[in-house]
Amino acid sequence: MKNRGGSILQGYAFAFYGFVYLPILLMGLFSLNSSNLIAFPLTGFTFNWYVQIFNDGRIFKGLLTTMAVAIPVTLITTVLGSMAALVLTRYQFRLKPLFAALLVLPFFVPKLIFAIAQVTFLNDIGMDKGLITVWISQSLIILPFVTIIIASVLYKIDKSLEEAAEDLGARPWQKFRRITLPLMKNGILAAAFISFVLSNAEYTVSFFTSGRVQPLSVLVASDFRFHLSPSLNALAMLIVLFNICIIIASEWLRRRKVHQ
Amino acid sequence: MKLTGIEAKRRRTALVLTAPNVLFVLAFCVLPLGVLFSYSFFQVDFVSILREPTFDNYNRIIHSETYRGLILKALIYGLGVAVLCGVIAYPLALFIAKRVNIYKSALLTLLLIPLYTGDLIRIFAWRVVLGAEGVLNSLLMWLGLIDEPIWFLLFSPFATTVVLTYNYLPFMLFPLWAAIEALDDSYMEAAMDLGSRDLGVFFRIILPLSGPGLVAGFLMVFVLVVGDYLTPQLMGGSSGVTVTSAIHDMFGAAFDWPTGSALAWLLLSSMALFVACVVYGFYRSPWGRGIRKQDK
Repeated sequence: MKNRGGSILQGYAFAFYGFVYLPILLMGLFSLNSSNLIAFPLTGFTFNWYVQIFNDGRIFKGLLTTMAVAIPVTLITTVLGSMAALVLTRYQFRLKPLFAALLVLPFFVPKLIFAIAQVTFLNDIGMDKGLITVWISQSLIILPFVTIIIASVLYKIDKSLEEAAEDLGARPWQKFRRITLPLMKNGILAAAFISFVLSNAEYTVSFFTSGRVQPLSVLVASDFRFHLSPSLNALAMLIVLFNICIIIASEWLRRRKVHQ
Repeated sequence: MKLTGIEAKRRRTALVLTAPNVLFVLAFCVLPLGVLFSYSFFQVDFVSILREPTFDNYNRIIHSETYRGLILKALIYGLGVAVLCGVIAYPLALFIAKRVNIYKSALLTLLLIPLYTGDLIRIFAWRVVLGAEGVLNSLLMWLGLIDEPIWFLLFSPFATTVVLTYNYLPFMLFPLWAAIEALDDSYMEAAMDLGSRDLGVFFRIILPLSGPGLVAGFLMVFVLVVGDYLTPQLMGGSSGVTVTSAIHDMFGAAFDWPTGSALAWLLLSSMALFVACVVYGFYRSPWGRGIRKQDK
């Protein structure tokens, strides 16, 4: 009885992961197909679509803008996220639920409404759209993810180590610098990776707050709204492969045990 | 004396760590939402915004069948997709939590990859699959199963629902998995020892005890689907007019920020009201017993 239930569940899990990965695999398949049309039957193997992407100056420029957005966003969110995660896991105070709610608020406000709120706000304070406005708005949305990742590592750290440091007379800063920080280092790094990936992928909010500096996601979205092409397949596939590497590295870091 | 000194220092550290985050979110999220709220009382005068407070925008929207219908449609989509996600995700969450040991972290990581890859690429992949001249249609025609493309695959409520479900499944899976994972196996064993069968164990032990995870996932998916803007736009075709796209239009071509702001705030309030009702209902229901006990 138990085994039959188990194998049904196992089959279901296979089907589920098939459903999740099938679109991505098909996209990969057609990025290597020589035909202009994204349709069966397959016509032959080619790397041309990838070559096209690498030779596209516009894409390269968009990629540079994406980096100019993603790197500062990663820095802002990992610093703020580390502070927030420390508060959530190490301190008790009455308004803590409110603090947690405030942190996740930008994630739960619909992205479009968040974006137009930014638009009205920037209009009222008379600030031009540009890199800084994208940094701020993206950081707000990504901060909850980063905080949760770092907090998940902090929860697992044995608190007695920090208590021992306190008992032995370490000042708060010493305790943080020599005990907590080394132990949470992997969590911070894992969160930074994810922050970088999320910043690359962000579209809706960047679209409204970027003005004339257009990151890759904004550039490409206007392309594929009107037509699909195998070279867009190739670009999407490159981004997916890059993300897979970063996410696996991040998860490995997050779950790893720290050895002293 | 010494202890209170340490306590005061601890409080100071907590404040130093809390303040930057609180200020950041207040200044750049709460304040902009407040500004948006203030706009909902303004009026448009040709090409400029007239800052004289009025309830006209709200009145007009509440009395317009179109806008009411759009908000209702968003809520129905949210509800439907959240239920669909729950049904699809539950068996997998159970599988990962209770039947897998070695590959657990690998299976969870595999779920994170599409989540972090972003909605734009996920939607793009689905358009490749579902298009009229797309992969699925051409495959079926090539195999001779159909004679002409199935048109409703893309640019239809069907396509929107498939992709919304696909997009937000992880937000149902992770809370569910966490809830089932935390479930003590001895409850199940005790039920088995007392003569309960698989289905009995599931309906009387696992399902009620995973209630909080199910509700958390349900609300997350609901909120995200109601607020989704890209998916209906890019997958729904002519059926893709949603309350979010209407708001977008008012901030774009139509230049009617006040009406757009009022519509946005009405959407936010109806979402919040629904979430509050579900949370209260759950808290009062027999399934909320676990949470009520913790509070005491």
